[in-house]
Amino acid sequence: MTATPVPINPLVPKGRPARTERTGWPTVLAFLAPALLLITIFLVYPVISTLRMSVDRGLGGEFTRFVGLDNYISLFQTPSFVGSIINNVLWTVFYTGFVILFGLFIAVIAMRVRYESVIKAIVFLPMAIAATALGVIWGFVYALDPQIGTLNALLGIIRVGPVSWLGDPAFVNAALIAVGIWGSTGFATVILSAALKGIPTEILEAARTDGANEFQIFWRIIVPMVSLPISVLAVTLIVNVIKLFDIPYVMTQGGPGDASRVIAFEMYKQDFAAGQYGKAAAVAVIMLLLLIPVMVFNVRRFRSSAVV
Amino acid sequence: MAKFPRFLTLPIAAVIIVSACGGGGSAAPGGSGAAAGATITVTSLWGGSEQESFQKVLDAFKTKTGITATYQAQRTDYSTVLQSKITSGSPPDVAIMPGLGFLRQFARSKGIKSIEELGIDPASLEANYPPGILDTGKVDGKLYGIMVKFNSKSTFWYRPDTLKTAGATAPKSWDDLKALITTLQGKGTATPLALGAKDSWTLTDWFEEVYLRQNGDAAYKKLFSAEGDWTDATVKKALDSMKEVITDKNVPGGITGALGVAFTDGIAQAFGATPKAALYYEGGFVGGIATGQTNKDLKIGDTIDWFNFPTFGGAGDTAAEIGGDEIAALTTKPGVKEFITFMTTADSGSVWAKTGAIISPVKAVGADNYPNDLAKKEAAQVAGASAVVYDGSDTLPAGAPDMGAMLQKVIQGQDVTGLLSTFNDGVKKAWADEK
Repeated sequence: MTATPVPINPLVPKGRPARTERTGWPTVLAFLAPALLLITIFLVYPVISTLRMSVDRGLGGEFTRFVGLDNYISLFQTPSFVGSIINNVLWTVFYTGFVILFGLFIAVIAMRVRYESVIKAIVFLPMAIAATALGVIWGFVYALDPQIGTLNALLGIIRVGPVSWLGDPAFVNAALIAVGIWGSTGFATVILSAALKGIPTEILEAARTDGANEFQIFWRIIVPMVSLPISVLAVTLIVNVIKLFDIPYVMTQGGPGDASRVIAFEMYKQDFAAGQYGKAAAVAVIMLLLLIPVMVFNVRRFRSSAVV
Repeated sequence: MAKFPRFLTLPIAAVIIVSACGGGGSAAPGGSGAAAGATITVTSLWGGSEQESFQKVLDAFKTKTGITATYQAQRTDYSTVLQSKITSGSPPDVAIMPGLGFLRQFARSKGIKSIEELGIDPASLEANYPPGILDTGKVDGKLYGIMVKFNSKSTFWYRPDTLKTAGATAPKSWDDLKALITTLQGKGTATPLALGAKDSWTLTDWFEEVYLRQNGDAAYKKLFSAEGDWTDATVKKALDSMKEVITDKNVPGGITGALGVAFTDGIAQAFGATPKAALYYEGGFVGGIATGQTNKDLKIGDTIDWFNFPTFGGAGDTAAEIGGDEIAALTTKPGVKEFITFMTTADSGSVWAKTGAIISPVKAVGADNYPNDLAKKEAAQVAGASAVVYDGSDTLPAGAPDMGAMLQKVIQGQDVTGLLSTFNDGVKKAWADEK
């Protein structure tokens, strides 16, 4: 027992003696065990099990025939799967982009008025609605019949339409992404609003004294100072997008044709509808692979600076 | 999208796991040999009024045999949940399943028992049914499922009042239908043909009907079997015919509009309080939904009725297509055999038919059991058909590509040959996989 483990602990400031001498690996393990156990059961085991399933034919829940990478190859030859990845890219760009843009915009504007909390409460309200309910509500908004569909009723006033928002492949993704944006903007507003409050007023006042206009203050001071919360927010939203399922499921079932399918919906289709569990597991693995870089980025950001 | 409180996930997961394991927990105390007093569980996907109707059948079974059958509703993802219950070793005793693809899959994976294994002689059942009905439940030549209820899919719904005002009558042939649409358009109904193509299965039914009428029951059965060739010229011809009537001009909101309209909203286009259309093609179940849900003021024969799906002068003019549910046993517990036997007789069929929820395939269930003219007519249509075929898209292997999504692309005007070729490859592969 000569080797004394010295775990790297960034939380212990330099200069203070590390206290691990009195505790050995057994103590460390004892404290880690509950977490490790949970991680093994709920994270490591499912991942390994899914990997195993993804290289099996897995028809009807029976994993008895090894097929190598066939499931993956066949997925990338399926137009609806490739289409679903493209749709996820659309979601990532527009949903994430607009949620942050609107969130930041509302947070900045709201800060300048007295009834800030009222505005934030209103914007935050959609967050309290389950995504399924969100889908149903917006299903009515988008309905073709102007007597039901709010949007087409409004368009009717200016003698346009009716537009088949969910039935036209040209509009369907935009329509769904708009629902997502509506549902998540409140979340972004609240996070960014908190971050904005953290900017010292002295800096803003100094800038104003130096003659910066509001536009310059926004782009040169506010945005850079909240860049970390924005990137954390972006990561959260991107993770949401990769997992996205409920809105397309409730509103379009991936249709018309397969115009609005997303990766998670494709997994559901392969698994629940087609009974091809092997292929569904392969989709899950692909989702995981897409998530890993995002998570790595996120963890790095958290390590590099302890903000938020 | 909503953020879920992380501290809740574990307890909820635990509850789900426990409740999933408890699924078959209400197992029978019986097993002594005498089935009376036993309890069995029956699962299917009905809820609401459909469940109430079925409960009457279960009550009648209890009265007759003393065996209690408990119903477990499984509204969504039916086959997956059933599969997981089988895998975990706690299946329900009896399942009534939609679609033949899953019946085949469960039969081949030995998840369900054959009728013979239950101690029922399949040959003894033949006389209870019109020809062809029992064949739908056969897998590799062995009887696994028995059809317990069905609806005709050869019913074309219309508004007699609108036709009367336009001086038109119900069409007989496809040309009559096209002429009727033109007539209606000239008499104030700009878009006579309601369509709920957002629910893509309505399009699979459209295709199946046209294909059946044009090519007859033998060709139809072949197309929806492992030998089917979707690149055959007859398939394209049927799709072209479909596209003659399903056009931007005939359908409310045009094709893109219809693709955003659900099945029930399609019913409302024709049978709602302010109808925009006068015609709607879908199965016999439209009647119940239209009169019970969409518009309670509808009068049968006056504002709602149906005619036979139009004919093409081909082999299938007098055939009928049906969609139905098959009963299958998952265990051989006491009471299961009795229940399956009960479901093959008029004892169950007449009770069920009287609720108006279903058409019974049992021959001995007479027309007088049906509570209204629409259901009576539907039963008579199928009974009088020269051949009865099963809903083709429900016959395809579960792993086949999405036929409805393919048809949604067809009516959008995408390249039919390319779509069919891809679809054909996928279907062929799914059939091969199933073996």
